[in-house]
Amino acid sequence: MENKPGALARVVGLFHQRGYNIDSLHVDPITDFSPYSFIEKELSITFKADEISRLTIETTVSDSLMRQILRQINKLIEVLAVSNEKSTYLKGVLRDENLLR
Amino acid sequence: MKLAGNDMLIQSLINEGVEFIFGYPGGAALHIYDAIFNQSEIQHILVRHEQAATHAADGYTRATGKVGVVLVTSGPGATNAITGIATAFMDSIPMIVISGQVQSHLIGTDAFQETDMIGISRPIVKHSFTVESQESIPRILKEAFYIATSGRPGPVVIDVPKDLTHPDFKFDFEYPKEAKIRSYNPPILPLEDQVKRAVEAILEAKQPVIYAGGGTISSNASNELIKFQKLTNAPVTNTLMGLGVFPATNKNFMGMLGMHGTYQANMAMHNADLIIAVGARFDDRITNTPEKFAPKAKIIHLDVDHSSVSKIIEADVAVFGQVKESLSAINKLLEASESQCQDLSAWHEQIQEWRSKHGLNHNLFKNKDDEHPILPQAAVQHIYQASEGKAFVTSDVGQHQMFAAQYYHFDEPRKWINSGGLGTMGFGLPSAMGAKLAFPEEEVICITGEGSIQMCIQELSTCAQYKLPIKIFNINNLALGMVKQWQDMNYDGRHSSISYEDSLPDFVKLAESFGHVGIKITKNSQLQDGIEEALSYKDKLVFVDIYVDPDEHVYPMLVAPEGSMKDMWLDKDLKT
Repeated sequence: MENKPGALARVVGLFHQRGYNIDSLHVDPITDFSPYSFIEKELSITFKADEISRLTIETTVSDSLMRQILRQINKLIEVLAVSNEKSTYLKGVLRDENLLR
Repeated sequence: MKLAGNDMLIQSLINEGVEFIFGYPGGAALHIYDAIFNQSEIQHILVRHEQAATHAADGYTRATGKVGVVLVTSGPGATNAITGIATAFMDSIPMIVISGQVQSHLIGTDAFQETDMIGISRPIVKHSFTVESQESIPRILKEAFYIATSGRPGPVVIDVPKDLTHPDFKFDFEYPKEAKIRSYNPPILPLEDQVKRAVEAILEAKQPVIYAGGGTISSNASNELIKFQKLTNAPVTNTLMGLGVFPATNKNFMGMLGMHGTYQANMAMHNADLIIAVGARFDDRITNTPEKFAPKAKIIHLDVDHSSVSKIIEADVAVFGQVKESLSAINKLLEASESQCQDLSAWHEQIQEWRSKHGLNHNLFKNKDDEHPILPQAAVQHIYQASEGKAFVTSDVGQHQMFAAQYYHFDEPRKWINSGGLGTMGFGLPSAMGAKLAFPEEEVICITGEGSIQMCIQELSTCAQYKLPIKIFNINNLALGMVKQWQDMNYDGRHSSISYEDSLPDFVKLAESFGHVGIKITKNSQLQDGIEEALSYKDKLVFVDIYVDPDEHVYPMLVAPEGSMKDMWLDKDLKT
């Protein structure tokens, strides 16, 4: 997500608002973009240092709720991409099998 | 051009084509109000409470499709706006709310009239901005309008510290031609594969239902929906939010569905083999118990919002994109298709049978002598007839809202304006102000109740100031009718805190005290004439206080908990 004031609060607030629990949370600005070059490619953008943060959240939910959480997070304006071990959601780009249904 | 922050804000709104700002001044917004004073392109509407500013902007938007703009000061100004922002959010109504904030250096010090507006509004906005420099104002405004109106629409809050609107500090101003946000790309066109699969399912269906909601209106897809119905011959039902998007007087329209939907609409949903959801979100007031929802139906879901699909009811085919574009694509493919839709005559016959068995309009006009109290449904029917079904109708929340939805038959979108998702009492009068400002020549009616109207009744003063000849029909049953109905049905008639009979104002005198006209109707024999008289005052606000049967309930009503859509109360002692 964009490394902007308030962006983290939107994600965390969403978890509480929708009744999901957070088991653990870690956030830091991204310095090495190589794992995220697919985002740059798909969205035709180039990241600069400290512009983007990576937020890692652990939560224990069913598969269908997980899908709902991913979609809700993806909807936040400042989020660029969200993924779990099975799916990746990118802004305006449908690359997930779930999305095609 | 060099402008100060306050002028930048107003000039940006002018560039966006804004006609009205609904607002209320105060300390932190004073510089902005000075900028309003110094221009003549935008009219500021001074409400009497900030909640009404948001509802008025909301009503303006629902009637026109254009974005309503709200301006409030910090602290209580901002918090008073919250209910209206949440109302817009739940119904996906675009809105720009500009809130003044204390000076930057005071933020976080518990300064006078300081509140964390961004924090308080976060769960009920599509997005929000804190202005951090004057130079960013044009970009933020452009992005705010883009976010509010694109994708699934919604309210956007812009919080502006007072020092950044100070008239002495000027900066280059150029309003951006377009907004581009790399982390926001809402879908517009549907994928071909999704459209193809939707059409395949439609061609196979023998008992299809088109279930269209508010998203069809916000996407301006009424014509595409009507065409889609013609191509498929499927029966149509609308949600509370979707009423008007398909003509209510069309023979294929089954009425509203859900909690207080018609018998035939709910039965058709339950027995359908295909449900085509168009800009609707399977709200709990529709589905009843989700596990028992439409057991035989395949679901096609057209929506612009990924997170709405398969949230409550799993979709078999999802079509993501602007509903207008998705319907167009489906229509095209249907027209080009070599196969025909199934013959639906047996299905239509079945629906007709349901309609004649338990449809609305039964027994309404029996007992219309003065020995019997006025039925609220009959009051709405008379309002419908007297206004020839052409008025903009706003409502508040409760029994009168459901009666209006059931008995005022809307043939056009954007004519029915009510708070569906949040269910906000107090919405009716201020939203009617927004609609009337947008369409001064059109009839604008507010159907309300004596409970709801008192939640924003101070706006009678605003109506006097701006000469807004709204017609208010107060369906007065001397109690909080919907709560009373639930207490009758679920609490053995223990009427806890729903009555204020002895302390109601004389609404006629109250209206007259603002310079408006008041009419009181207590008997069936006065009903038609009284309503027609009210509508005959072209330049006056008329408050019609209609005393109705205090014991009437809204039916049909889905049986909850544990019920499906076929389980309904049809009368006080008749259940399906």
